[in-house]
Parts: sequence; C-alpha cells; structure tokens
Amino acid sequence: MACETERTPLGVFKCQLCALTAPYSYQGRQPPDSQSVVLLEESYVMRDPFTPDKGRFLVVGSRCSMCGRLVCVGPECSLFYSKRFCLPCVQDNVDAFPQEIQQDLEKRKVPFTRPASQRSS
Amino acid sequence: MPPPRTREGRGPWDRPRAPSPEAAPEKWNWNCPETRRLFEDAFFGDEDYIRQGSEECQKFWTFFERLQRFQNLKTTRKEEKDARQPKHSHPALADLPRAYDPRYRINLSVLGPDARDSRGPGRRLPPERASEFRQALLHYLDFCQKQAFGRLAKLQRERAALPIAQYGHHILQMLKEHQVVVVAGDTGCGKSTQVPQYLLAAGCSHVACTQPRRIACISLAKRVGFESLSQYGSQVGYQIRFESTRSAATKIVFLTVGLLLRQMQREPSLPQYQVLIVDEVHERHLHNDFLLGVLQRQLPQRPDLKVVLMSATINISLFSSYFGNAPVVQVPGRLFPITVVYQPQEAEPTTSKSEKLDPRPFLRVLEAIDNKYPPEERGDLLVFLSGMAEISAVLEPAQAYASHTQRWVVLPLHSALSVADQDKVFDVAPPGVRKCILSTNIAETSVTIDGIRFVVDSGKVKEMSYDPQAKLQRLQEFWISQASAEQRKGRAGRTGPGVCFRLYAESDYDAFAPYPVPEIRRVALDALVLQMKSMSVGDPRTFPFIEPPPPTSLETAILYLRDQGALDSSEALTPIGSLLAQLPVDVVIGKMLILGSMFHLAEPVLTIAAALSVQTPFTRSAQSNPECAATRRPLESDQGDPFTLLNVFNTWVQVKSERGRNSRKWCRHRGIEEHRLYEMANLRRQFKELLEDHGLLAGAQAPQPGDSYSRLQRRRERQALYELKRRHEEGVGRKRKVLRVQDDQDGWSSDEDRGGSASRGAGDSVDIQDVKFKLRHNLEQLHAAASSAQALTRDQMALLKLVLGRGLYPQLAVPDPFNSSRKDSDQIFHTQTKQGVVLHPTCVFTNSPEVLHAQEQAARGSDGSRDDRDKMSSKHQLVTFVSLLETNKPYLVNCVRIPALQSLLLFSRSLDTNGDCSRLVADGWLELQLADTESAVRLLAASLRLRAHWESALDRQLAHQARRRLEDEEEEEEEAPVNHKEVAALSRELLQFMTSKVSYSLRRLTGLEAQNLYVGPQTITAAPSLPGLFGNSTPSPHPTKGGYAVTDFLTYNCLTSDADLYSDCLRTFWTCPHCGLHMPLTPLERIAHENTCPEAPQGGPPGAEEAAPEPPQKASALQKPYHCEACQKDFLFTPTEILRHRRQHV
Repeated sequence: MACETERTPLGVFKCQLCALTAPYSYQGRQPPDSQSVVLLEESYVMRDPFTPDKGRFLVVGSRCSMCGRLVCVGPECSLFYSKRFCLPCVQDNVDAFPQEIQQDLEKRKVPFTRPASQRSS
Repeated sequence: MPPPRTREGRGPWDRPRAPSPEAAPEKWNWNCPETRRLFEDAFFGDEDYIRQGSEECQKFWTFFERLQRFQNLKTTRKEEKDARQPKHSHPALADLPRAYDPRYRINLSVLGPDARDSRGPGRRLPPERASEFRQALLHYLDFCQKQAFGRLAKLQRERAALPIAQYGHHILQMLKEHQVVVVAGDTGCGKSTQVPQYLLAAGCSHVACTQPRRIACISLAKRVGFESLSQYGSQVGYQIRFESTRSAATKIVFLTVGLLLRQMQREPSLPQYQVLIVDEVHERHLHNDFLLGVLQRQLPQRPDLKVVLMSATINISLFSSYFGNAPVVQVPGRLFPITVVYQPQEAEPTTSKSEKLDPRPFLRVLEAIDNKYPPEERGDLLVFLSGMAEISAVLEPAQAYASHTQRWVVLPLHSALSVADQDKVFDVAPPGVRKCILSTNIAETSVTIDGIRFVVDSGKVKEMSYDPQAKLQRLQEFWISQASAEQRKGRAGRTGPGVCFRLYAESDYDAFAPYPVPEIRRVALDALVLQMKSMSVGDPRTFPFIEPPPPTSLETAILYLRDQGALDSSEALTPIGSLLAQLPVDVVIGKMLILGSMFHLAEPVLTIAAALSVQTPFTRSAQSNPECAATRRPLESDQGDPFTLLNVFNTWVQVKSERGRNSRKWCRHRGIEEHRLYEMANLRRQFKELLEDHGLLAGAQAPQPGDSYSRLQRRRERQALYELKRRHEEGVGRKRKVLRVQDDQDGWSSDEDRGGSASRGAGDSVDIQDVKFKLRHNLEQLHAAASSAQALTRDQMALLKLVLGRGLYPQLAVPDPFNSSRKDSDQIFHTQTKQGVVLHPTCVFTNSPEVLHAQEQAARGSDGSRDDRDKMSSKHQLVTFVSLLETNKPYLVNCVRIPALQSLLLFSRSLDTNGDCSRLVADGWLELQLADTESAVRLLAASLRLRAHWESALDRQLAHQARRRLEDEEEEEEEAPVNHKEVAALSRELLQFMTSKVSYSLRRLTGLEAQNLYVGPQTITAAPSLPGLFGNSTPSPHPTKGGYAVTDFLTYNCLTSDADLYSDCLRTFWTCPHCGLHMPLTPLERIAHENTCPEAPQGGPPGAEEAAPEPPQKASALQKPYHCEACQKDFLFTPTEILRHRRQHV
C-alpha cells in the first residue's frame, strides 16, 4: 500500500570529503511535490526521512562551484554563499568571502562540536 | 532592518496596500491572531510546503518569534558594512555579493503567494511585512534543512562508530562463501540493528530476522527503519502474532521465531526468503532450538538460502559445530569498564521470620552510593531480584529510605505490572536524584534502560520449571549462571563506567553453572511435539536437537497428546491433533474451542479461550484495594474464574460501544489492565478466523449495513480513525517525563498512581489502543456477541461448563472432605498426583468456598460430623483447573466447579464398577458410592450412550473439516457438519443428564486402596448375561483388572469388594410395565430387560427419555469394515472406534 509513494532512489550520493552517503531521489532545483520552494543550486535531494510528510525534502549535497567536487551540505564539508563552496576551496580563497564568513570559519577551527540547537527544538 | 528584497526581482510589491487598519506600521503586531491568519492564508495553503494549522505551522511561529527577538538585538550592532572588493581570478568568486547578508547563505527560495496567484490572499498584505515574513520563512526552512541534515549525519557517525561497523564487509564476504555464518558479539556491538542493514545495502531484498520476543521485533523494525532512512517507508517491517507492517515492498522483516516456524509449517523450504537471520540463539529458547534443528535438516534442500546466527559470545562453538563448523565472526562488545564489588551476605540473624527476603543488604548499597558519589554525578541503579515477592520486600523499605533522603525514586519492574507502570522506568529522575529500579530478570535482556551506572545483583532468579510426572509448573528460585551474571553486570556499563555489586562471594560465582539451562530442558514439551508432528519432522525422540531434551519429558508429552486424543496409538496426528497444531494455544484450550463450536457456543468459548491464553487482566495492586474489589464483585461468577473473565470482557465491550473512550477509566476503577483485554480481543479474533478457516464455524457474512448512508457513515468513521492513528504515530512515541520525588511514605500507592496516569491520559488525549481496537474489530459484531453471551441461559451455561470440563479433563481436583469445617483461607484440594493444593488467591472460590461444599446432608454416616467425607449428596463438586502452579505452595489457577458424578461418568478415561454398579472408581483415584443401584445403572447406561453420541458427532465434525480441506472450494456450502437437530438433541440429553439427582458419596482413594482396587484376571470368564445393559457392546473379560471390559473406558464388575457377594442373588419379583413379564430379577437384570424389551416405547430408559432423533446407527456413514489383526475379527467401525479398539491390544 505504501509502494505508490516510495520513489526509487536514483542513486547513492557520496560526499567526497567526509564519505557521508545517502540515497537521493531527485537532482536539480525544483524538488517534486513542493511547488512553492525552489533551490538556488543543482542539488542532490532525498525525501526528508525524519518526517512522515511526503512533500518534505532534504538537500544532501551538491557540487562545489569551484572545484566541482561532490560535497555534502554539512558545515564541516561545505558552505553556501550564493553558491556552494567546499571548505578546502573556501580556505584557499578565504579573502574572497566577507568577514562574517571568515569569522565563522575561525570559530569552526576551535574544537568543533555540533551546536545544541541541531538536536531538536 | 530593511531586507535586501528588491534584488530578488520576484514578485513586484507595488500593488496598493490593503486598506485594513491593522496594517498601519506603528500598530503592527505579529502576535495578533488575525494577522497571523492572513499570512497563513497567503503562504500556508494546501499546496505549500507548510500547511495551515499543522504542527509545522506552530513550530514556524515559535521560530518566528525567536528570530524577531534575535534580529532586534542585532540590528543595533550591525550597522556599518565595509564594501571591499578584491580581485578574484576564479569566475565563481567573481560575482559573490558585495555586502554580506545572511540571506545569501540560504540555498533555497520561497515563492511568494503573489508569484503564483495575483488574486490570492497575498494581495492584501503590506509589502514590507510580507517580505519580512518571507525572510523569516526562508530562515525557518534553512533551519529545518540543517536540523534534518544534522540528524542524518549524526546517524551515520553513530553507525560508523559501532564496533560491528568494521566487520560488516567481512560478514558479507563470509556469507558469500558459506551458507551459515555465526556472528558473535556482546551487548552494544550493534549486531541486531546493523547486520540486517548491511544485507540491505548489499542488495538483499528478502531478509527475515527472527527475535525471541515480540517487543523486540517492533522496536528493532522501528530502529532499523529509522537508521536505514526508511522510517516512513515500508522497506523494513515486522510481523508478530496480531500485527504486521509487512507489505510487498518490505525487504527486511523482523518476526518472532514462533511465527517463522508457522511459516515453515506451511512451506518447509521458506521460499519467500533469501537470507534468514536468527538472533539471540544463545538464549536457547525452546522455539529457537527447534528452529535450528529444522534448519539444519532443511539447508541441504535450499542451498541458496543463507543463514546468519547471531549470538552473544557464549558457547559459540556449540552453534558453529552444529552447522558443520560454520565460520564465526566475533565482534567485541562496547562496554565501559565496570568495577565488580563482591558483597557476600553472611547469614545474618534475620529479624523477619521465615523466608522473606532481608532488604538490608540492598539498602546498604543505596547508602553506600549516597556516601561515595556526589548527587551531581548522574547514574541510576538497577537491582536484580529473583521475583515479585522479593521486589515488594525491598520496595517498601527502599521507598522509606528514599523519602527520607529525597535522593532516590524507587520503581519496580516486572512483567505483571501495568504497561504504563512499566514505562515509568524510562522516565528520568530530576537533577540530584537517582532512579532505583527493582527488577526481575526482565531487565537482563528484554528491557534495556539507559543511564544505568550501578547494578546490584542478588544472584538469584526464579524460573519456571516443569515436573513432567505431576504435570506441574513450579516457580523456583535458583542461582543464576555465570553468563547471566555477566549480562547483569554489563547493564552498568552501557553509557559510561559503572559499578556492579554482587551480593554473593566470588567463590559462589565460580561455582555457578556457565550457562543457563536451555528452555527445552525445563518446560512441558506438549506444544513442541505437536508442532513437530504437524511439520512431519519424524520421531521427536530421534530429532537432531542441538541439545536433546530429557527423554522423560518427551515421553510425557507424547503420552499426554495421546491421552488428549491429538495423537493416535501409532503416534500419528489425529484430525483433532492437526487442528490443535494450528491453534497457537495450549492443547486443552484448543479442545475447548473445537467442542464449543460444535455446541453453538462459539462466542463465549472464543472469549474464554482467549482469556485463558493471556496473562490475567487483574492487576495486583487491586488485590489489596477494597474499593477495586468491590467494583469488581458484580463481574465475578461463582461458577468459576473463566466465567468471571467472560463477564469482564463482555462488559468491557459493552462499555466500549456505549461510552466509547471511558473504557480506560472503567478498567482502572476495577483494577483491570486494559491492555490484556485488547490482547484478548485480538486473540479471540484469531481463534475465530482459525475456526472459520477450518469449517468449524460458519464464516461471517460481513453484515453490511443495508443502506448506503450507514455504509458511508461507517467509512467516514474508519477514515477518521485512520487519521487519528496516523497522527499518533507521527508523534514519535512517548516522551520521557520527569519523575516526581515522593514526599511521603505512600507515594507509590495506587492513588498517586491513578492521578499520575490520569494526567498522562490528559496529555495524550487520543487513546491509541482504543483507536487500533476499533480499526481492527467490528465493534458492533463484538457487542452483539457479548450481549448474546451475557444472556446465556442456564442451559447454555451448563453446556459451557461441560465443554470447559471436557476440554480441561483430566485437570481436576477434589475438595478435601474436611473443608467445610475449615477456615475460608485453609481450604485444600487434591489432584490425582498432588495432595494438598490450594486455590490461587485470585480465584473466585477463595472468597466463597462454601459453593464448593456439598450442601445437602443425608443419612448414612452423617451423625453430626461436619465433614463431607462419606456424605451422601447429589451435589458433590469437583474443581477443574487450567493450570497447577507451584510457588511457595501449589496453586490451582483458573478454576471452574463441575458436578462430580456426572462429569466423571462423561469424561473419565477409566471407569470401574462393582457388580451392581453402585460403586464406581474413576481413573483409579476417585470413588463414588451411589445410594441406589437402579439409578446408578441408569445413569451409567445413559452416560455410555451420551459419550458414544458425542464422540460420533465430534468425529463427523472433524472428518467434515478434514474433507473440506482436501476438496477445493467447489461446493461452497454443503450441509452443516453435524446437523442442528442432532446437536440440539444431544445438548438436551446432556443437560438432562447433568441435572439428574442421585445421592452419592465422593472420596479420594488412599494409596493402599488404589493398589488393591481390582479383583484381577478371573479364571471363570462367563460373560454376564445381561444383554442390552450397556447398549450393543459385547463385554469381554478384562485381562488385568478382571471383570468385563464393556467399552474402552468402562470395566464392569472388576472392583474388589466384600459387599456384593450376594448381589447376584438379591432378586425380587417385578412386572415389566410394557410386556407384562413377571419374574424375580436383580436391579441389573431389570434394567437390562427394560432396555431391550420389544414392547417398550422407542427412546430407552427414563433418565434420558428423549433419545436422539437419529439413533446411533446413523453414524454408519463413517463406519467402515475393519479387520483387526490382533484379534482376527471383523468389525464395522468409525475411525475413532478403530483407534479405541486398537488401544485395547496395546
């Protein structure tokens, strides 16, 4: 009975930096079942596995706009600033980014623990 | 802060502002519900990412408020911005926005309502506010993405950190090369959750994983579904007795061992699976051991089936060598170091009397923890005690200590607790307070509680052992095994370093058995043997078990099944046996079902059978609560406990259909665990379906309500229920609560408990059990059944008791003759094998033992003595019971009272008489002395006839069922198995028989008397010249007892006695009222004549005037010519008669 909604995954996304893997079911800017939201980059998208709502999606990763590596959206691997950049590329060109981002990166260098807010609200 | 919205270029905000007054900027209030609704109308439509009124929508507004507060703080600081513009070679860097705005860090965008529909509700929103709102929405969506991704990443990190993660590849590799692989790993290594996922990732799509416990199937399916990111999909499912989430898309299914065996019963080669994981093989459950045996035999036939055996690191070589030295992958567990403290208990001068457990050593540990560890260091205590009595012995003083120190919350944990109370152990203690959980060995493997740092191990366990000779279950205390001790210890090291206090010496530990005794060595094997027979695995005695059961318990089981008619004399499954093998219940309960359906008592029998197959619904706490006892009283039946259960269930169904939701409260007031009633309803339905499948019950023609309106109504109701269920399931389980520290001594009394559950109930307004119940069952049908059962006539009641009595036979006890002069609490009973058993305290007769006493007094011997010994009465009763359980005393559990003489005449397997039939001995242990020979003979003759009728009706019923299964559904509705008239006549006669009033005495024979019961083989073998006395049978001399075997159970005149030497001569003149014969006759001869008198009206002797409309000869449809090899004679026999006949030669 549940088959009708289960989209078969297109493939498995694998982050080239942290080796995170996730099956994705869509690649592009307009995830299915969510007309009102568009993505600003070509992304690898899966159905949000943590909610029963079928229309919810989760962006897992995309290509770095500089080096073209596949990276996940995790803050240890990449950041988005109007485009996706993998952290190695950001580090190499740190001057190109506004101070706010540079400060963020500095903060990240001290032993990083995931912010508490990431658990649940 | 003016948002950089204009650059978006999406949605021109130049339309005239809506002239609504609240739009004035100075009065703008985001908290105004109307304002919010306006925005929700515009942005949260049905097609949108967030829907109006959803939980998500609420979350958004909370987020919105936080964001606003945050931004108000920020705007003051973040005014100046430096607009540097360095040169960059890479084109990707060239067009980065110059001025920083957090908005650029978000990789998605939301279409405003205007972009979609210019006439939509968005028109009326002031542009700045709309853009502010949209901005917040973006941040919210980004936050959601980060949150979800964070969870995904965390999940993967945790999975990768499990000890087994490094072995995944190796395991898959091994499985490629071998058919069977053993994965051995200790608690916490992750084998149960990960191995199925590795298989899934490797592309397997038909994986079954068996678990010994139902609850583990559900929780593992949930966990694995979650981890494999298909929590809301159907890749991972479970299948247990009453519930299944399995669908065509399911790739991994977690199921109980019992269920897998049932699947094998249908298809031994398990074609539906590619890989089979058998988890927890080290626990050595009966079913698991059997499954391994069946697999070992089956594997050569299924070379493509892969099997993974998963075990703790216990006795691994046993499993490996059983499967031809299967490779073992050993995975280290993940446990933090645990300090073991041995605190042997010197035999202290116990202040308390007798065997009650001394709680002081346990309190000392609590004290020691308080002294040694500061309260800020968290970590709870888990105490392993042997049983419920021990838990309550420690509970009270521990709670006193807790309320004194305010540093502990003490909670019991055992299987008889209500589900809600069991759940409390998962709640958290407030800061500075520790939980102290007093548990049976349920917390050793079945229940895993997080946050345990300290373990106290009493070293004892109470286990059910089985005495095959007495057919008695015994709950005894034993020392645990080393393996269990290690398992208990391990519970302290799951979340951090821990301490384990062992209340025994290290030398004790060394003396413990290495492993627990496998279940197969300590339980009754009836059900197992029956299942083995139905799976045709050959002789159970030679079955290659991993470790064979004791031969005596196998023999007892086989004998028992033969006694119960499930196996014939060649130990092959009888029709009734093959039916019983498919009923997932005790043999006796299965028999009740079959008998009940024959007498059109299916509805009440279904309920009773279900009730007797689940744990008692009566909670313990209510036992001591007079209020509960009083509210429960109207439900009690003085006929016996199964009838009380029947009343409880029926009334509950009524409550449910009348007042809907109140059933929970209704149960609580009466000290009833509602969960058990739900189980009963489920089981009842399963039984019903089984009976229907086997043609024993007319299939239910789904009673569709006639008009389309009510059909629609019902459909709507169901949809609403589904919706409720779905929403409940979204609310991911039960949230942990913070426990309260009690202020006073009786903080854990049931009152507090009640308040607690009530508040809990208020929080979760949906009674999900109720919803599920209504989805699964047709309440109207159940209600109809319940009310019909409540309106049981006296006759139906009596028949029902007959059905139960026959089902439960030979489980019966006789009241001690001196009971009537004893205190209510001192009533004792005797079974054939066990003397001095007592009623279980929950038994209804405990409070009213007088209903078991023979009331009317008559002459002979009753010279004022107040006992029932030798008392002549027509109302002697026996107690038939469902089980015999020995804890500190042997208890009769679930009792029904039945009239003694009539029941014994109808049920006993051996019935011996003296010359004039006034003295009867049933099954060699109960003696009945009848006052009047004439009525004795009449009753005996009637019982013979009734038994024959009943037997043949049952035979035909079962034969019909067997035929139906062979033939296809060509002739859908042939005639009913046994026609109504016949059953009605049989019922009538049985009832008449049951109510016949004959004075007699009832007595248990002493050992010596039982030994010298029979006259023994006689040299003179002149058959008694009493044609027709016992129907058409021709008596033959009994080879061992003496006298004459009249039927396979009745032996005439074999009892030694000094009184009837003259009986043959005591003739008096008598005239036959029918043919006018006038002769001196003994009573026996007189009856013999009456039975055969050619002039007598059809219908036989008085006492059973209305004979069956169809004489016994009718049964000839089933009779076949039979030639007996042993006695070289030809007969015309029904299949059962053949069996019976053959048994004579054994």
